[in-house]
Amino acid sequence: MRILVVEDDSDLSRQLKDALTDVGYAVDIAADGEEGHHLGDTEPYDAVILDLGLPIIDGVSVLQKWRSDGKKFPVLILTARDQWSEKVAGFDAGADDYLTKPFHTEELMARLRALLRRAAGHTTDTIDIGELSVDNRSARAFVNGMAIKLTSHEFRLLSYMATHRGRVISRTELVEHIYDQDFDRDSNTIEVFVGRLRRKIGTDRIETVRGLGYRLADPDEAKAK
Amino acid sequence: MTDMGAPLSTVSEPSVSLGNQSLVVRLVRGAALWALPLLLLTALTLTWLYRNTTYRSFDDPLVSAVTSLIASAEVADGMLGLSRKPIDPRYQRALSGRYWLIGFLQDDGVIEAITSSRSLYEETLTLPKSDVARLQNQQGEEIRSNAEGPDSNENLRLVARQVVLPNMKAPVVVVAAADNRSARQSVISFALIAFGLMLLISIGLVTAVVTQVRSGLKPLFDLREKVADVREGRAGQVDGKYPREIQPLANELNSLITHNKDVVERARTHVGNLAHALKTPLAVLQNEAQSTDSTLSEIVGRQTETMKNQVDHHLRRARAAARGQAIGVSSPVNETLEALARTLERIYRDKDIDFDVDLEPDLIFRGEKRDLEEMAGNLMDNACKWTKSAIRVSAQRLADDGQFIIIVSDDGPGMAADQYKEAIKRGARLDEATPGSGFGLAIVDDLARAYKGRLTLGKSDMGGLKSVLELPRRL
Repeated sequence: MRILVVEDDSDLSRQLKDALTDVGYAVDIAADGEEGHHLGDTEPYDAVILDLGLPIIDGVSVLQKWRSDGKKFPVLILTARDQWSEKVAGFDAGADDYLTKPFHTEELMARLRALLRRAAGHTTDTIDIGELSVDNRSARAFVNGMAIKLTSHEFRLLSYMATHRGRVISRTELVEHIYDQDFDRDSNTIEVFVGRLRRKIGTDRIETVRGLGYRLADPDEAKAK
Repeated sequence: MTDMGAPLSTVSEPSVSLGNQSLVVRLVRGAALWALPLLLLTALTLTWLYRNTTYRSFDDPLVSAVTSLIASAEVADGMLGLSRKPIDPRYQRALSGRYWLIGFLQDDGVIEAITSSRSLYEETLTLPKSDVARLQNQQGEEIRSNAEGPDSNENLRLVARQVVLPNMKAPVVVVAAADNRSARQSVISFALIAFGLMLLISIGLVTAVVTQVRSGLKPLFDLREKVADVREGRAGQVDGKYPREIQPLANELNSLITHNKDVVERARTHVGNLAHALKTPLAVLQNEAQSTDSTLSEIVGRQTETMKNQVDHHLRRARAAARGQAIGVSSPVNETLEALARTLERIYRDKDIDFDVDLEPDLIFRGEKRDLEEMAGNLMDNACKWTKSAIRVSAQRLADDGQFIIIVSDDGPGMAADQYKEAIKRGARLDEATPGSGFGLAIVDDLARAYKGRLTLGKSDMGGLKSVLELPRRL
């Protein structure tokens, strides 16, 4: 899952990046409205955390531009402004949630998970695929109740595939959603990660669809067909 | 927030001084001050002229009588005789009011008659003492005077002349006199008519001035009403066309209103900027403290919590101080409530609350939009927090002058009747576990009071709490 954080306070954006990376998200940072708008416009984010009082272009305008351009990613407004008129303006511009500063990191994480969950059509933080269980809350995965040791990139890959279970996902899409913009993107590394993941969770859980990409599925279900 | 006043309706009366006298009274008094003496002077002058004319024409026959008496006087053997006596029959009838007399003037004014008209009936005439000297000094000149006649009711006008007749050693006085009561009566009638007429003119003049002043000042009265409209939020600006002399005043008032709005808005913006400037660093500190586990981070965590509360507290105070300061503002109620419902529906999307919003059209709140948002938003937010599945928001007009009522009901657990007061009390927190500052209802009550309204809590027919917000309160 790839998240964009648009926040002009560099300390806060660093903290947010650390906290989000810890639980398995790929994070991009924009320090002003213009950069934020550009990134949101060109990169396929899974969710955006947006400040309102931004240099160059304010947050509400950035959000309005995205929405009028047809961008559908969930947006969480994180701001110090707590007046009703500001909340109304934020939601009317197309925000999906609104959190006021100062905030507790756990609450931000819970709200972000809820947004991602809702966007993907799930109802809980844990996604079960047969005996495989992916817990987005603790950024851990289990097979038959046994915790599996995963690197953060491996977890991101698994989490993205689990969220979009049953769908064929191209390598390009995987690259776009599990790496942040500063990462040296080489789609060959995806093959390496898929290989490692297969060894850890079971080879037949990740299916290769030639020429198209990968699909995460329940092998027992597939056999039953 | 105890210093929060309700400046919307307090208009200090000017202290009593010369400056507060009615303009109408001033202008009318100014006009009367010159017009009334002028009219009085006119009446006096006219009367004086008429009196002089009347008396002169009255005196003329007396002068000619004296002249003809002197001309016909003959002295023979030291005895005075008249060659021709005046022929007016009134000189023959006793005490007729017409007299003539020739005699020696004594120092006390009494004339010792030599010969006289029969009408005098053996009486003599007495000149006022002041005239004695005049007569003696002005030999041959006639003088005019007033004296009592032989009949004490009479007011005699007399013409006298002292002459020295040939063959007579001592000078003699020749007097012709007539009762002038009719002439005097005529002057009095004239004076009455003149003063009466001037009085009528004065009354007419004052009425005309009052009417003129009133119609002249009408634009000012209109302006006053417009300003009252602005103060009570019925209008945002002093509009309408005014005479050239008043238009600048209306323009100045409008710039003052705009300036006032700007100042209040700027104060608000500063408060908002301060919030932003402080809360982000607080969030950074709080997050940093959470990420490690040490005595330092524990202290920083606790202190940032205190600072956050302080910032919130003082922000509320600053907002309260700026509240109700702008004049001439009003906000649409329905638009605001609908926007709040729309927003809350998204905030509480996971609860899937059923919103029933029932609003009477065209309701206007005479106050600032953000204050209405704060009141209605907190009530609706509170309802959303506690409800199981549905909330109802309704707004109704109470009176034509802008009174209305907002009712928010939910189907949550509600409150016991004895908790209502406690819930409204400043800072009370009924359930520590519920997210939010716990100030919600108290803030609503504070704000409602600032707008002369009130908040009352009760039991909803949906089962939960019913909050009733009256703005302003019914008397």
